[in-house]
Amino acid sequence: MPETKQFMGMEGDGRNDTSLKANVVLQNRYKILGVIGGGGMGTVYQARDLMFTEAKRLVAIKEMQSVVTDANLRTTMLRNFQREANILATLSHPAIPKIFDFFDLSDRAYLVMEYINGRDLEVILSQTKELPIDKVIDWAIELCDVLDYLHSQTPNPIIFRDMKPSNVMIDALGRVRLIDFGIAKAFVRDDSGKGTMIGTEGYSAPEQYRGEAIPASDIFGLGATLHHILTRKDPRLEIPFSFHERPIPNFNPTVPSRMVSIIEKSLAKDIPDRFQTVPEIRTAFNELRSRPLSMPYATTGSSGQPQQSTNFFDDMTVNSDGDLGGLQPKWKFKTEDEIRVSPTVYRDMVLVGSYDTNMWALKLDSGEQVWKYATRGGIASSPTVDETNKNVVFGSEDFTVYALDVRSGRISWSFQTKDRIRSGARIAHDHVFFGSDDGKVYALNVLNGRMLWAFDAGAPVRSRPVVTEEIIIVPSATGEVYGLSLSGQRKWTYRTRGAVYSSPYFEPNEGSLFVGSSDGFMYAFDAHTGVSSWRFRTGAAVISSPTENKGLLYFGSADGYMYAVNAQTSREKWKFNAEKPIVGSPIVHKDAVYFGGTDEYFYCLDANTGKERWKYKTGGAITSAPTVSNDLILVGSLDHILYAFPLIN
Amino acid sequence: MSFFRRLFSNQADPKSPPTGRTAPLVDTPVNTPTPSVAAPSIPEVPIVDKPLRPTAELESRSVNGLGTGGLTDGVTRPLPQDALIDLTGNEHLAFGQATDIGMVRTNNQDSAFSFFSAARSAFERPDFGLFVVADGMGGHHDGEKASALAARAVGAYLMDKIGMSLLQGDERYNEVPITEAMSDAVLKANADVVQKVPDGGTTCTAVMVIGDMAYIAHVGDSRAYFVQREKVERLTRDHSLVERLIELEQLTREEAEDHPQKNVLYRALGQTDTIEVDTLTRRLPPRSRILICSDGLWNQVGDAKIRDVINLHPNPQEACSELVKLANNSGGLDNVTVILLQLPG
Repeated sequence: MPETKQFMGMEGDGRNDTSLKANVVLQNRYKILGVIGGGGMGTVYQARDLMFTEAKRLVAIKEMQSVVTDANLRTTMLRNFQREANILATLSHPAIPKIFDFFDLSDRAYLVMEYINGRDLEVILSQTKELPIDKVIDWAIELCDVLDYLHSQTPNPIIFRDMKPSNVMIDALGRVRLIDFGIAKAFVRDDSGKGTMIGTEGYSAPEQYRGEAIPASDIFGLGATLHHILTRKDPRLEIPFSFHERPIPNFNPTVPSRMVSIIEKSLAKDIPDRFQTVPEIRTAFNELRSRPLSMPYATTGSSGQPQQSTNFFDDMTVNSDGDLGGLQPKWKFKTEDEIRVSPTVYRDMVLVGSYDTNMWALKLDSGEQVWKYATRGGIASSPTVDETNKNVVFGSEDFTVYALDVRSGRISWSFQTKDRIRSGARIAHDHVFFGSDDGKVYALNVLNGRMLWAFDAGAPVRSRPVVTEEIIIVPSATGEVYGLSLSGQRKWTYRTRGAVYSSPYFEPNEGSLFVGSSDGFMYAFDAHTGVSSWRFRTGAAVISSPTENKGLLYFGSADGYMYAVNAQTSREKWKFNAEKPIVGSPIVHKDAVYFGGTDEYFYCLDANTGKERWKYKTGGAITSAPTVSNDLILVGSLDHILYAFPLIN
Repeated sequence: MSFFRRLFSNQADPKSPPTGRTAPLVDTPVNTPTPSVAAPSIPEVPIVDKPLRPTAELESRSVNGLGTGGLTDGVTRPLPQDALIDLTGNEHLAFGQATDIGMVRTNNQDSAFSFFSAARSAFERPDFGLFVVADGMGGHHDGEKASALAARAVGAYLMDKIGMSLLQGDERYNEVPITEAMSDAVLKANADVVQKVPDGGTTCTAVMVIGDMAYIAHVGDSRAYFVQREKVERLTRDHSLVERLIELEQLTREEAEDHPQKNVLYRALGQTDTIEVDTLTRRLPPRSRILICSDGLWNQVGDAKIRDVINLHPNPQEACSELVKLANNSGGLDNVTVILLQLPG
């Protein structure tokens, strides 16, 4: 319970226990029976009204005791208290406790009111496991009734300002009663600047911290209260105003999606995005009640809740089934087997390897074949172009690395390893760096394929090495990530707990390296020392290679999500659910993320929000990264086809 | 070519296993010699302290005609000039630390911890530093106890897991990512405060430096700043109500200045059993500085003034003392603690 603490910082903060003892009689009339509540600046007592000798009439007495020593301020606060008490005295509503008396005594003020036999929602929360939804809806409607009553007062509407579970009582008859009429609020002003406090109110609307309180502020408070009792996540323990980061269905799948929408709308941080009046939100709750509530809400699922979370995000225009809306590939090219790896663009040509053993060279603008070169094994290695020597370099499952003249497709050189090659090559420092299933990383002269050195990683190397000014980074199938000097000597090793097939990504400004592992983590390293700075947990193997753009790292996971994570803090910005494992790698182009899934779709998402812009269904799983060139985006699929989509902006 | 040669003839790590298959370091002559791949022999150029940067032409070779935008993975792009500190030399991080009770308070609830080591040996261990500022809260000495516990727990945990491992030369320091270890250290400190000072609370901002990398863990409203000659950048986010309202554009910075609830934190050590710890990794360029301070400094002294003082005092200890003096001269309403790290270069 003590979620919040107040620290005055100064020694002797004057909080001494001065509550009234039982049997004390105030005003010759109210006999204190005991303390029923309190905290902060006051105590609430249960007392008996001695005026009624025959009946045992119980009252609640609220004591206001100020720690403020400044006489003027004290006077002001007392006046506020009196004024609020006077307003309350004019109110008459079944959900508002009646006020009987008001007086002050020495340095304290007292308010005598109806004693409510019941429990507040905070207590109810702590004593139950789950609350029936239809009951919560009933309470919401009753709270709307009383708020509407308050807001309809003339000449000025009364804003409750302090809606929260502990201020909502459910009496013995099951009716809602609102207690603590913001009276305390006038008193709860900390002695400014003197000390630090931990803990926020948690339920108040943002504008209330600017000193504004309007009907929509109470609607926010109502939403916050309902959010708390439905999710059982106490907002006082969370980042203020972060309700939308805790979607109700994640904690309570039985809440109908329409109810989720109502609550989320009432929690919008900006006033215009909320319900403006209580009758509006009450109508929404009433409609909910008039529907049969016994149906299984959880299964109203994807089709029934298209608008549910859009209140908090920019509403991107996606047509209902998210299809590309008539947009078709500019061209398609069908190879004779699966395309497992990424295409590469060289000037007006696109090069793509297929499992049909061929490296295909196509015209970029039309997809017409320029040449093809047959190896003796399937191609599962993305081609790389050596621009100096005009060669395309790639490996084949026939154990061989080929360098072909990119214009003619004639062989320039080849180099044989002792096992299949599934690693893409990296060309840097006039050398070709690549890994083989024979467990080695090779450095070959880019001009003639002559070996400079080989490093024994002890297990298949299937990802494309990273080569910087000073270091080569190579992960292996046993989970090690090696940092090698340019001469092929090991400088550092980092051990992940699963095979690494994801190609590392090097971010040159910070010198950071990112690599995914089959242990389900994305790791961040200092590329020069191998010291790991963070890791980010996903729900399954990370085979997709990461890419970075504007400080965000994008990668897919076999748990079916595409993630966007802050590269410096590892904080998740968004994730997108593709339902099926994502092993293909994303690319970012002009604020859009493109990637393919094993669900056979090719996706385009907003890079900032993770909202789907469009998707296109291919005939097979997509396991490689797309490539962008000029006005085209190219991607290969296991349906044997290379697709070239026009880039639309 | 000299750069290439120099790196390729680097001494091997004494710990690396012999790689018998490694080719000799001398490139054998090829049948089709071209001027650009003349066989390297002994470096003719004097070896300079910093690696020479290859030309831009070399960098762009594997870029597939898309420019250096977000599409390429940028592996062969150069690091920015002067971006790396030469940590093999004799220049090391310098730091200062100062604290004061201020002009109003009757006790100092801040705590600070600083540790730095630089070694030169064949083992090639990187420079290591650990710096913590904690600002306690709570009456009856609870605040100072809470911050003392936090600084000690974070310091001790990380010295054990990382500092000692680096010294001993084992690989324990890399068993969990650094920021994860730092987060664990803060959680350990939180558990200590919850258990031993139930009525107290504290902020905690910890910075670890390994080589030229800074790792930061943070809870509360003490701050870490990244200071360069012209600019001051705040690295940490205050876990305060007003900061959150500013982030959500519900409050302006001006309105926050004298907001009645500007001292309300929504996250601090000692509050609950579990807390979320913010972490951050940054590479430190030469001559940059990191300032860690309690709110007693930043509430009293503006960013620009802080930068001026730091620029004016090349000695970080003098700068710290001067910042404390400045906070006191501006009112000194709170305890003030500063630690300043200064990178060589």
